[in-house]
Amino acid sequence: MSIQEKTEAEQTKAPTVSVPVNLVRLSKVGQRPDLLDYLVQLWDRRSFIFFDARSRVQSGHDKTHLGTAWLVLTPVLNGLSFYLIFGVFLGTSKGIENFIGYLIIGVFTFQMSTRSILGGAKSLTSNTSMIRAFQFPRASLPIAVNVRELLSNIPVTIVMLLFVIFTAPAEEITWRWLLIIPAILLQFLFNLGIGMLLAPVLLKIPDLSHLLSFIIRFLMYVSAVFFAEDRFGKYPVMRAIMDFNPVFQVIKVIRDTVLYNTTPSWRAWSVLGLWALGSVAAGLFVFWRGEESYGRV
Amino acid sequence: MDVSDVAGGPIAEPTVVVDDISVVYRTKNQTPGRTNARTSIVKSLRNRRLGDTAVKTKALSKISFVANQGDSIGIIGRNGSGKSTLMKVLAGLIIPDTGSVYASSNPILLGVNAALISSISGAQNIRLGCLAMGMSHAEIDAKFDDIVEMSGLEHEVYHPMNSYSSGMGARLRFAIAAAVDPEILLIDEALNTGDAQFKDRSKQRMAKVTAQAGTVFVVSHSLGTITGMCNRAIWIDKGDFIMDGTPDEVAKEYRNFIWRMNEGNADYGRKIRAELMASLPEMRTTLLPNGWKRSR
Repeated sequence: MSIQEKTEAEQTKAPTVSVPVNLVRLSKVGQRPDLLDYLVQLWDRRSFIFFDARSRVQSGHDKTHLGTAWLVLTPVLNGLSFYLIFGVFLGTSKGIENFIGYLIIGVFTFQMSTRSILGGAKSLTSNTSMIRAFQFPRASLPIAVNVRELLSNIPVTIVMLLFVIFTAPAEEITWRWLLIIPAILLQFLFNLGIGMLLAPVLLKIPDLSHLLSFIIRFLMYVSAVFFAEDRFGKYPVMRAIMDFNPVFQVIKVIRDTVLYNTTPSWRAWSVLGLWALGSVAAGLFVFWRGEESYGRV
Repeated sequence: MDVSDVAGGPIAEPTVVVDDISVVYRTKNQTPGRTNARTSIVKSLRNRRLGDTAVKTKALSKISFVANQGDSIGIIGRNGSGKSTLMKVLAGLIIPDTGSVYASSNPILLGVNAALISSISGAQNIRLGCLAMGMSHAEIDAKFDDIVEMSGLEHEVYHPMNSYSSGMGARLRFAIAAAVDPEILLIDEALNTGDAQFKDRSKQRMAKVTAQAGTVFVVSHSLGTITGMCNRAIWIDKGDFIMDGTPDEVAKEYRNFIWRMNEGNADYGRKIRAELMASLPEMRTTLLPNGWKRSR
């Protein structure tokens, strides 16, 4: 009723108008919801996340002639160059049983983390048009990137296993091969969490994107991708970093199960699990706290 | 309370309350000498610290107004006066530095700048956009043909979006955003890009929203569009709220102002502007909390 008075008052140009805002009918636009509401909203957008991920897997390689074949070709060429330099010329393969398999698993598995973490970290900066066009929980973006990488990782993993079967001296396929599925899922959660932690930082300080590739490279060296894990034996600090490095633990779990036919230790699983759950929880919380700031110019 | 309101006659319920919003853009101010003279490293470093300071530009300052059910509000103003920023704030895509916007439902913004993913087809973009706005696959399937018809794209809808002309892209975006049947629709310059047939369709769409007791905001440089399609107009200039009234009144004052400015009589133009601003009523909002929900 006072609203009616207000509109009348506005026409007669009264000095002050009082507008009651009834919060039953009106709510604040663009306000960050509670964490629980936010998670519910994210769950409601699951089909958006999957559709976004799927359509980008197909379109991501449209500009090249070989298309999605590059998903497999890139790690193969990567592995080949590492094999030539480290395996043949520098001889890091010494003391490693089945070096080709060892190298392939390292390179292919590490690639998934690199692509996911970089993609997740850049998910806000590279999707500004999407953010300004539609109102949706922004965490959908890093999640979609990680789901996309997980989907495109499926053929890559199959190729990786085929390589191991055909290149290795008489590889035995056991039930343990199934253990790579939980390992990759935990790796996915870890990548997602790190991506969600980095994305808001990268939006505020774009300079960090230049540093990111160096950090990823350091991560590669402490993941024993192309040399034996006891290479750092003389340096206990490096050894300790490796022990708590989740990417190394994923690679180790996959090598143990696929190449060496041993059941991975509980220690490896718990390091991996704690990192995965911890980073996802921290990532979601940090990402949710900054939700309102992502649309700012 | 609602019952007594209805009994009191045709009440225009507010759909959007804009309460004292200000938006500040932070940009870098480059030192003037930089483009022509080669400066020493020390000097340029010093300039960096002293001259290239971050400058704050007020895009919107202290804007307040109320929009009611059935309103179609045209927003006019010169280039860079904050019209598009206001639209983005209303849509919740930019959070204002001070003040807040209250709305009865989530406003949907239709802008020409809102890019979709250019490497996938129009049909996939329709699905993606609708999913982003929270529709389900079943709802999209039901509305898909309508959206394609609204956009005026036939076979092209299966071509990748980067093969579209800018008008086709704008039409597709309009059709996608209109698909959710928004109660509050924000249209930013989208009407200028389409052809006559598309303008007709979008006019019908706007009329449909206002007929369903919704609210439409239109940003346009064409005063004809605003006087022809809206029942209310708002004039903002350099971030200031100048005038609010019927489209004809506002267009008259705006034309007068522009004419004075162009004629070289800028002081007189500024006087008009200041007088109009001074005659604006001051607006104060009082929050009526709804009891159980936490109000921040």
